[in-house]
Amino acid sequence: MKRRLPWWLGGILMSLLLLFTFSVFGADRPIGASTYVPYYAGILFGMDPEHYTYLKEIEKAGAWEGVMLLGVFVGGFITSVFITKSFRFSVRPTAWKVYKNTSVKSRLIWSFFSGFLLIIGARLAGGCTSGHFLSGMSQTAFSSMIFGGVVLATLLVTGKLFYNTGEPK
Amino acid sequence: MSIGEYFDFVLTRTEAMYNIVQFEGHGSFWLVFVIGIFFGGIIQYTRVDKFEKIAGFAMGKDTIIPKMLFLAIGITSIALYFEIQMGYASYHPKPIILQGLIMGGIIFGVGMAIMGKCPGTGPISIAEGRIDVLVGAFGGILGGWLFTKYYDDFFKPLMGHDYGKSTLVSVGGDYATFFVFVFGIALILIAILIPKMELFDDADLSLLEHDERPDVKAEKEHEEFELVK
Repeated sequence: MKRRLPWWLGGILMSLLLLFTFSVFGADRPIGASTYVPYYAGILFGMDPEHYTYLKEIEKAGAWEGVMLLGVFVGGFITSVFITKSFRFSVRPTAWKVYKNTSVKSRLIWSFFSGFLLIIGARLAGGCTSGHFLSGMSQTAFSSMIFGGVVLATLLVTGKLFYNTGEPK
Repeated sequence: MSIGEYFDFVLTRTEAMYNIVQFEGHGSFWLVFVIGIFFGGIIQYTRVDKFEKIAGFAMGKDTIIPKMLFLAIGITSIALYFEIQMGYASYHPKPIILQGLIMGGIIFGVGMAIMGKCPGTGPISIAEGRIDVLVGAFGGILGGWLFTKYYDDFFKPLMGHDYGKSTLVSVGGDYATFFVFVFGIALILIAILIPKMELFDDADLSLLEHDERPDVKAEKEHEEFELVK
């Protein structure tokens, strides 16, 4: 059995999934994957949607993504256990140990902080890698091209500055 | 709010989530759930949710992310255009809220490089046992709470003016078909032409048989790769 899909097959399958989701036979909407976070936060923190403009705005998109993300979680678990054999518990990525540091505390603090940044950034821009890159650029939307350009540039600059990418330790 | 009230609130909201997805015309609960399974499965099977792929791309050591992403967008943009022409789908572009897009893009890009995940790939990594990403999700939930709480007073004004939802197709007029083809083909070509580079994580491959390992295959085919242990 093939344990890894090549990038081109992954790209074609992702494209088919997007086309199905967009179609009236699927969900007649794009795929997005960041609105669910404030939606879940609203539930967990007991925030009444009547009192928050933002929760009213995202009521439908948040619910849709909330359900999709449950599926994403299950799908990722199934393939990691049965196909890619990559399920294991870990707290530091291997490349973090090689190119950043070996401290568990450092990784966890940076994880918490960067998770916070990801959601604030995605909500300011109105989308993420899925909503803007995949779904938005597929619709040739200028908003998504602007977001895509800014993210690509920032990602590469941050990667150069944040990691010690010279010789492996 | 007492514990009993909180429990009731969570149940009511969860039921509302189910009802919206089941009855409001964008698929059904199970359909959307299955879309999620495929989304998570495709990403996990290609391993593009890995830190070594996303942060590796930020470091300039792995190019699988842009190759797969641009290929998917290129194919979808052309096929979706015809799907819509045939009346089987419609466009739902996001508005050009310029300040929000630029500020959000910068904050998002920094977060993505450090975390080595994005909001869609994060849950997949948690599902395969990444504890650090679970901690990152708590940071994300805090961000979601803060954004919701201060949306009216702080974040909404910060996002600035909305310049509408224009797309290549909407401004293309009679040339829309041509523009879409140029856009889609250019992205597919970029995806193919970006040199293939991979950063493999030995821990991720340790359970595989020797001939199943992608690094062994890359070695055989003289591809550019690096294995971190």
